[in-house]
Amino acid sequence: MAALCRGRHRWKRTHCLRVFTRNLTAKYDYDLVVIGGGSGGLACSKEAAQLGQKVAVLDYVEPSAKGTKWGLGGTCVNVGCIPKKLMHQAALLGTAVKDAKKYGWQISGTVCHDWPTMAEAIQNHVRSLNWGHRVQLQDKKVKYLNIKGSLLDEHTVKGLTKAGKETVLTAKNIVIATGGRPKYPTNIPGAMEHGVTSDDIFWLKKSPGKTLVVGASYVALECAGFLTGIGLDTTVMVRSIALRGFDQYFLSCLKANILFWFMEQMAGLVTDYMEAYGTKFAWKCVPKRVDKLSSGALQVTWTNTQTGAEQKDTYDSLLWAVGRAPETKALGLDKLGIQLNKETGKLIVGADESTSVPNIYAFGDISEGRPELTPTAIKAGKLLARRLAGQSTELMDYDNVATTVFTPLEYGCVGLSEEEAEKRHGKDGIEIYHAFYKPLEFTVAERDASQCYIKVVCERGGDQKILGLHFTGPNAGEVTQGFAMGFQCGATYSHLLQTVGIHPTCAEEVVKVSITKRSGLDATVTGC
Amino acid sequence: MAILTQLTRTQAPRWLVLRKRLFSSFRRHAVTRSMASDPAAAAAEATRFDFLVIGGGSGGLAGARRAAELGAATAVIESHKLGGTCVNVGCVPKKVMWNAAVHAEYLHDHSDYGFDVGNVRFSWETLKAKRDAYVTHLNRIYRNNLDKAKIQTIQGYARFTDDPEPTVEVNGRKYTAPHILIATGGQPSVLSEDEVPGARLGITSDGFFELETLPKRSVIVGAGYIAVEMAGILSTLGSKTSLIIRQTGVLRNFDAFISTNCTKELQNTGIDLWKNSQVKSVSKTDKGLEVTIVTKDPEKKNDEEKTSVIQEVDCLLWAIGRLPNTSGLNIGSMGLDTDEKGHIIVDEFQNTSRSGIYAVGDVCGKALLTPVAIAAGRKLAHRLFEGKKDSKLDYSGIPTVVFSHPPIGTVGLTEEEAIKARGKENIKIYKTSFTPMYHAITSRKSQCIMKLVCEGKEEKVVGLHMQGLGCDEMLQGFAVAIKMGATKADFDKTVAIHPTSSEEFVTMR
Repeated sequence: MAALCRGRHRWKRTHCLRVFTRNLTAKYDYDLVVIGGGSGGLACSKEAAQLGQKVAVLDYVEPSAKGTKWGLGGTCVNVGCIPKKLMHQAALLGTAVKDAKKYGWQISGTVCHDWPTMAEAIQNHVRSLNWGHRVQLQDKKVKYLNIKGSLLDEHTVKGLTKAGKETVLTAKNIVIATGGRPKYPTNIPGAMEHGVTSDDIFWLKKSPGKTLVVGASYVALECAGFLTGIGLDTTVMVRSIALRGFDQYFLSCLKANILFWFMEQMAGLVTDYMEAYGTKFAWKCVPKRVDKLSSGALQVTWTNTQTGAEQKDTYDSLLWAVGRAPETKALGLDKLGIQLNKETGKLIVGADESTSVPNIYAFGDISEGRPELTPTAIKAGKLLARRLAGQSTELMDYDNVATTVFTPLEYGCVGLSEEEAEKRHGKDGIEIYHAFYKPLEFTVAERDASQCYIKVVCERGGDQKILGLHFTGPNAGEVTQGFAMGFQCGATYSHLLQTVGIHPTCAEEVVKVSITKRSGLDATVTGC
Repeated sequence: MAILTQLTRTQAPRWLVLRKRLFSSFRRHAVTRSMASDPAAAAAEATRFDFLVIGGGSGGLAGARRAAELGAATAVIESHKLGGTCVNVGCVPKKVMWNAAVHAEYLHDHSDYGFDVGNVRFSWETLKAKRDAYVTHLNRIYRNNLDKAKIQTIQGYARFTDDPEPTVEVNGRKYTAPHILIATGGQPSVLSEDEVPGARLGITSDGFFELETLPKRSVIVGAGYIAVEMAGILSTLGSKTSLIIRQTGVLRNFDAFISTNCTKELQNTGIDLWKNSQVKSVSKTDKGLEVTIVTKDPEKKNDEEKTSVIQEVDCLLWAIGRLPNTSGLNIGSMGLDTDEKGHIIVDEFQNTSRSGIYAVGDVCGKALLTPVAIAAGRKLAHRLFEGKKDSKLDYSGIPTVVFSHPPIGTVGLTEEEAIKARGKENIKIYKTSFTPMYHAITSRKSQCIMKLVCEGKEEKVVGLHMQGLGCDEMLQGFAVAIKMGATKADFDKTVAIHPTSSEEFVTMR
């Protein structure tokens, strides 16, 4: 009964609201038009509709250079997080088979992997998610339009269908959330004709075979990781001079300020582990040209930047993972004079996601200085919808965002890297607690655990507030979330100490860290 | 007797002062008294330490090592293998077996992820050999750690003597210290032949780790977490497993949400669950054990008791609880208070009712968990040997994981406990359940369920309960936040990590 009353009350409130807003905005077709049906755009439009706004969302997927297309849901669902994590799971199972033998399973014959079985299953799952998003929009009364949107003025959007039919929509507010797409290098002959990107890899009908992955972004490492894990001969080509440059390169690729996290040491652990598990690395190399041989194989020629020597090898596939660019071309931003960052091409936005033009907002991967992460886009989108509906003034807090890289050895982190903390607080102002631990699951499996590492960066004085927390190991994603929450609550080193561990887990090693880097003592964990 | 206790109590401190003066320069070494002309003559020829620890398990070793680090001359008395329950017959070998079982589940999923693994056969023998080797390796590490810390290891059973000063005897030699820690742990309970004829034909979790082959047919009795874990491991590794429980659900002291779900998951994974049932008798035949079970639904008053027999059982495992290891200690004569099950009663500082004697870990019967014993042992060492008067373990908000299939994680109050403590109107519950993404493309499915118990207007999170893939590794961080007093709003403020299962906690509505 109580629930019923509450329900009725809520209905009344939203109903009144709807009437109220309608009267104010009647001169527009919609209260809100969202361009871009990705994680952020969908979250924003659904939230707005739930608050009684009249909302339309425009989504149109321009096929990739290789002709790959997909449905509603944006990068995350179609060519990002979801298929990536599933392929990562497949790769983990590839490693698990080897471990299983150590755990007493006698497996006769060789284990082989069939790409089409995996890819079809994943693609079917993605299609079910596309469908799920369609249904949700319908349920929440968001008008979905499969058209390519561009801006005419600060209240008008023009939509173009695939067939070239035009629709014009007016709205009180317009939100741009078109995200980004992978880049191709511009000066390498054959790069685009013969190479694919992360837009294509998950939708390949047959195995990419022997693959060269170019780039040092997390996308490059994740893709190379799962390709290796399912048994493919995989090489990562990295331009940087050293791992130090690796950070720089990575930052220049992504230009998002939370990316301090791919710090030197942690990145090194991740790539060391990958190397130990069969991924090849061609360090300090820059591709020069790509040729297709009569056999169908791709011949890649590159220069070793250190020796100046030119080398070549043949591959079945070439994957470019050299960064992402915002999807702004079709939006007609210049006509309205919306300010962009010239270097990155992203939209310059305020703390409230407003662009330089009134009534036009932008968030997610398309906006300057924002982390390119699904959960931040979702959260920012919901908060924006609430503000636009006049329901709240709460702004998105882009600090303290935790994230995980799903490389074969997962890496999760929140807060500052050691380097960044040192920059801000001085070497004497921080205390680093660290530990090299051995996951119990590695012991019987006789796996090398030298890259399983935990680093907690704390203030040195007072309560030793935690400034950053880094974890490499199995299940880093699951481990990190809770600590990210503790971090959000202002956790200190003593809070970690006060929490009883959970034995035997990897996560307990975080609350057990006791060796400071300053002490120079061996940080290897022994025994329970 | 009471007078004697009184006497020794007043004497002990005087002794302590004397000893300290005499042997202050030998603090790091054990010193044997040559002759006794002292009032406490009964303690003659006792080897003297600053800190004497009875039991080389998690709690004892942690306390001993910390005390030694703080400069105390320390000895550990252990009757069996170093490492105690956790290392030898508990957490460690259990988790190894669980990991092996998880591989069985993975092997099931391999074809869905595109792998052709071919014919697979499981060799328990290989696994046991490797597991034993790992445990032996750990025993050695513990021994080395003690040696490195200059802690004397005394092999044998300790028994308190009648000396006025608390003293223990091991293999005919006496040892004493101003501070004696009892950390003897516990052992699985067994039923007597009177209670269940043939009960001795069964094994306990200790025996589980001695099994040389995978039983074809297993019967597990009990509804606690050990029963759930053992049944899960055996069943997943391919033993046909029945679980006999007295009521209708397992893990009845957990949140009902978890209890119900875990009971369901056990059945989903193919365990033959006998509710409202008890073992009446066990007998041995050529083909194995015959376990006779009586079943009666208390709801159906008119129903007759039903008797059934499970035949050809090659592993009957009692997992009906644990008892403290105090029997040989002679604690009665020391005047230590115990509860009705024999657990040593301690205060929040781990003090027993006798000054100079302390207890930590399973022997106290509270939060039977390795990390709890370790933390309590260390806190005690800091209090005794570093002068940190307030050093004690906070027993609230201890996270714990059950390695079931899928695993369970829980911290804080259950919904029931919270309502009892604060009233229904002050408690708000958030729940979710979903299929983890891992299972998006597998034919084998399992759900992940999550629940937050929130209290008051500020919605302080006082309980977190979950079961699902990855919950074992998810819990620790949340436990830190909950310990800090996190509210639901703090959960909401935290940005998710995508795609994970744990992100569902910060996106709950």
